[in-house]
Amino acid sequence: MDVFTLAIWLGTLIFLIVSFTKNKEKTKQALKMALNMGKGMALSIFSIIFAIGLILTFIPPENIAAFVEKQPSVIATVAAALLGTITLIPAFIAFPIVGTLVDAGVGIVPSVAFLTTLTMVGVVTFPLEKKEFGAKFTAVRNGLSFLFAIIIALVMGVLI
Amino acid sequence: MTVLKKIKENLFFIIIVIAYGVVAIVSPSMGLASVKNSGYYIKEMLMIMPVIFVLTALLDLWMPKEKIMQFLGKDAKMKGALLAFVIGSISAGPIYAAFPMCVMLHKKGASIRNIIIILSSWAVIKVPMLLNEAKFLGPKFMALRWVLTVLAIIIFSWIADKVVKDEDLPKDESVTKGLTINQACMGCTVCVKAYPELFEMKGKKAIVKKHDESEIDEERLQKTIEVCPVDAIEYNK
Repeated sequence: MDVFTLAIWLGTLIFLIVSFTKNKEKTKQALKMALNMGKGMALSIFSIIFAIGLILTFIPPENIAAFVEKQPSVIATVAAALLGTITLIPAFIAFPIVGTLVDAGVGIVPSVAFLTTLTMVGVVTFPLEKKEFGAKFTAVRNGLSFLFAIIIALVMGVLI
Repeated sequence: MTVLKKIKENLFFIIIVIAYGVVAIVSPSMGLASVKNSGYYIKEMLMIMPVIFVLTALLDLWMPKEKIMQFLGKDAKMKGALLAFVIGSISAGPIYAAFPMCVMLHKKGASIRNIIIILSSWAVIKVPMLLNEAKFLGPKFMALRWVLTVLAIIIFSWIADKVVKDEDLPKDESVTKGLTINQACMGCTVCVKAYPELFEMKGKKAIVKKHDESEIDEERLQKTIEVCPVDAIEYNK
């Protein structure tokens, strides 16, 4: 186990022990909630992972990297950001996958654009958001998030 | 009917199984390579996923959300924005789980700006996720993206606040009478366990059972409403 995994386990364990001594009932409830969150997502998470395993066999990360490199960087970045808005995978699966792609040579800028729009802009949740907040609010929030996702990506590209 | 529904619910999973079957027959070596590729991610996930869920649930439990929410009005400028960041960063669940809560906050006087901050930080800057990001992409990458994202949210929430007015949000529709469960429900089953006479699971979400209003134990219901981790239970007499 690497240092980050270890740190998060250790921190959570301490948190859990403190929580238990303070309120046993509530902590049990929180653990149940965690278990049910996991159960609810397990099948779809494994499906996504196996789908990605398959895709990466047919299109190796190196090929993806070579393809992305050939595109003009602006187009690659906007395309990655667009891909992020329609992709429906939990962020914590996205990190290891993007990690693989970055290691294979995909540029930082498109990767960051994808990661940021993935969570912040939602094409699939748009109707739901519109119902709750109205069309204008939803369009402005998603539009600005998309724009700034690209700005964040470009700045990251300069700094890293 | 139920079989059909089950198939529909798990369609993606079934497609993947079939795809693996086909690949295994056509090219066993590629099938094996795919399983190996997946195995790496599964191993990584199993190491980090349980702890992320537990940490998320614990943060959700111990942060006094109600108290924070009182500060989110229009007047509490700096403090309000800061608290909006905190709420978004520590809460559990996907972004759509935040919608009903934000609508309620807006009715209570929270500014458009603070609502945008909550929604955006809810989406991008969760503490357990940051640790996960640092693990796979490096601490420098994570820290830089975090700083830039926070800056971006501060700027575009300010722009959105200028463009979108309070009147642009839907007017208070007639409140649904009786007992309902809103979109925020993420199927944690806590309500079903706390009050099985009133709630049951249907698929991945809880629903309200058919019930006689006069037989509701108010005190017990109130307690159930309070234990719901995402405040999805609405009760209007």
